[in-house]
Amino acid sequence: MRAALELALLELRARRGRLLALAAFATVFLAAGAAARLLVADGDGHVDADQLFIIGGYPLVSALLLLGWLLGRFPLIATLVLLAGIVSGDRGAGYARIYAVRPTSPLAVYGVRFLVLAATAFVLCAVLLPTFDLLLLGTWAGPATLVLILANILAFGGLVTFLSACTRADAWIALFLAISALVWNALRAAGKLTIPIGVRDFISFLLPPQAALLRLEGAFGTLQPIPWDAFWLVAGYGLVLLAAAAIVLRHREL
Amino acid sequence: MIALEQVNKTYAPAPGRGRPVVALDDVSLQVPEGATWAVVGPNGAGKSTLFALILGFVHPTAGKITVAGLAPRSFVRRHGAAFLPERFSLPGSWTATAALHALARLEGHRGAEAKTRVADAIARFGLEPHAAKPIASLSRGLLQRVGLAQTLLSDSPLVVLDEPTEGLDPLWRIQFRELVAELRRAGRTTLIASHDLAEVERLADQAVLLEGGRVRELIPIRREPAGRRRYRIRLTRPVPALAEIFPGAVEPGTTGEDAAGDVAYSGDTAPATYLVEVDDDADLSARLAALLAAGATLSEVAPADEPLELRVRHALSGEEG
Repeated sequence: MRAALELALLELRARRGRLLALAAFATVFLAAGAAARLLVADGDGHVDADQLFIIGGYPLVSALLLLGWLLGRFPLIATLVLLAGIVSGDRGAGYARIYAVRPTSPLAVYGVRFLVLAATAFVLCAVLLPTFDLLLLGTWAGPATLVLILANILAFGGLVTFLSACTRADAWIALFLAISALVWNALRAAGKLTIPIGVRDFISFLLPPQAALLRLEGAFGTLQPIPWDAFWLVAGYGLVLLAAAAIVLRHREL
Repeated sequence: MIALEQVNKTYAPAPGRGRPVVALDDVSLQVPEGATWAVVGPNGAGKSTLFALILGFVHPTAGKITVAGLAPRSFVRRHGAAFLPERFSLPGSWTATAALHALARLEGHRGAEAKTRVADAIARFGLEPHAAKPIASLSRGLLQRVGLAQTLLSDSPLVVLDEPTEGLDPLWRIQFRELVAELRRAGRTTLIASHDLAEVERLADQAVLLEGGRVRELIPIRREPAGRRRYRIRLTRPVPALAEIFPGAVEPGTTGEDAAGDVAYSGDTAPATYLVEVDDDADLSARLAALLAAGATLSEVAPADEPLELRVRHALSGEEG
């Protein structure tokens, strides 16, 4: 296992460009939050949206709302960026065969790599989200923030790893499925889907569990108790995909 | 050690593109334990696919493959394999030392042992001045040496080298020959794919000639004791003194290179061709002079062993060798 960890840390080093890009992206959030706070903080440390409108009008308020929405997607973005090509990259470049002739199991190699990359995404998000909350709200959502991050990393990390074990363009397909789930869930919630219930439920089952993720995000945004049933549903989705990825890894041609 | 029985490998086409590609067709081989075999043939002959099947990277479409009695993937999971792929590479940001150390750890070597193995491999291929450089900055030849160095980290009885001398300068080719000699002495089964037939002739006991995914011919490569040379002499009038002047002279058998088909000189005086062994050109000249002085009539003298390149050319063009 330590051998696989050593290789995973080298792989993280090879992905340092992506890590730096994510850190730079996170810095934009923090700089925007800090600027808003400096401009329009009230006595409790909240950013006052009315004051922001007076200063910058719709563009400034819209920009802050967009940043807030993107912030909620940051765990997804970080997961896709860091885990893209987790398996398929090695296969495409020919490294997979060099590792496969060693007696260390490929499940250990890629399992530990998943843990290292997922943990890195978690730490990055766990620094950014609470800091942004503190800047804008003067407080943070507590453990709900960490649960939301973990749920996203498990769901989309599992998805991208499974796709990577099967094919290339894993992160792009995962992003497409994530966006599809977002749209599908909105249509479903609005009662706009005019297809048979069985088909609707089957498609909902295959897509990432967006409804459960939204419940977790809602609890995070409104400082409500964590909906654990939603968390376990999301975690189960990710873990099933990781198990499927392990089966594919064991049998697929290299 | 390695057994292939009527193996076929067909690659399915990408959806909507072309037809299936038959990479190997009805290939049967038995590679003995400890043998050094070469796999030769034109581009697209199926050499890399053959190696991928033996190492368990891909599964045969039909037929059966075993390595030491196990399915290839099971063998590799249990014993590993020393493998150099064609166009070896690793992530460009890693240093040669870090890459070799990580691979040594995957091999199961721990702590100090891993460091020692890596240091030995680096020294063996003269990589000390480049060990701390990123892989991306290494030239093709240096990268090939890193590739060869990583094969030294494995103690597996199976060694598979795909185009091992590509990019190596003459000095490192010599080092590579010594490595293969060591593998032979250690009794490790070694497979080498190469387009360099002269190199193959120096290294291997047998060459498998593949063409269009089929085994066209198995070509034994004869190894003479150091310093001995074989010649083919044609005598229109042999004399009994032949047996004294060229002890061990034989008429070559119909089985070509197979010595079992050769017939010892029986004192016959009818025109015939004989295979003889000498130490060097001076020895050959002296013995031929003695033969002529004894009354023999000589019509032809030629080296007995046709270079592998010619034999491959004949086989591919359908000519007799």
